[in-house]
Amino acid sequence: MIEIDSLEQVEGEISDHDVVLFALSTCPHCRHAREFLDSKGVAYRFVYLDSLKGDEQKRVLLESEKYNPNHTFPTLVIDGGDVLIGFREAEYTDKLL
Amino acid sequence: MSEAGALDVDNLLEQLGRDAESGGYHLNPDAKFLRELGEGLAVNTERLGYPLCPCRLSEGSKESDLDIICPCDYRDPDLDEYDTCY
Repeated sequence: MIEIDSLEQVEGEISDHDVVLFALSTCPHCRHAREFLDSKGVAYRFVYLDSLKGDEQKRVLLESEKYNPNHTFPTLVIDGGDVLIGFREAEYTDKLL
Repeated sequence: MSEAGALDVDNLLEQLGRDAESGGYHLNPDAKFLRELGEGLAVNTERLGYPLCPCRLSEGSKESDLDIICPCDYRDPDLDEYDTCY
């Protein structure tokens, strides 16, 4: 399980996986990813990296780099293993629902 | 994304549209998505002074961000792979 203090928990009825979303507050794809998770009732944790400063941002970026070294967002990590880069509804549906 | 005003977004999208068409590109026809993209670009312009791609994280200076300022260096590969920019 990914352990980062900056992650914010969103409760949901579907909680069979540990779902972590690395995102940017400015990014439409990230917004759509969150809208999808919210609308389907998937429990997840997320962080907006552009809202973090200094060392905290560096720490979270280092963590997200383990899953997506290209620094693109959104990056969704499921159970610390499966990684979905960008938002494509079919992929999210396949992996989470 | 309320940091950018509507006028800023309109101006920015108008400029982007002109630049895109003059280069043989087209802006995304999905008006909602385009608006959201414009809002993200406008926020980054206010924050940083330049239209950093809203889906990529600043590395802290304009010099280090040059490859991810819109239209960024990854536009053509993204168009090839996704039919749209990332």
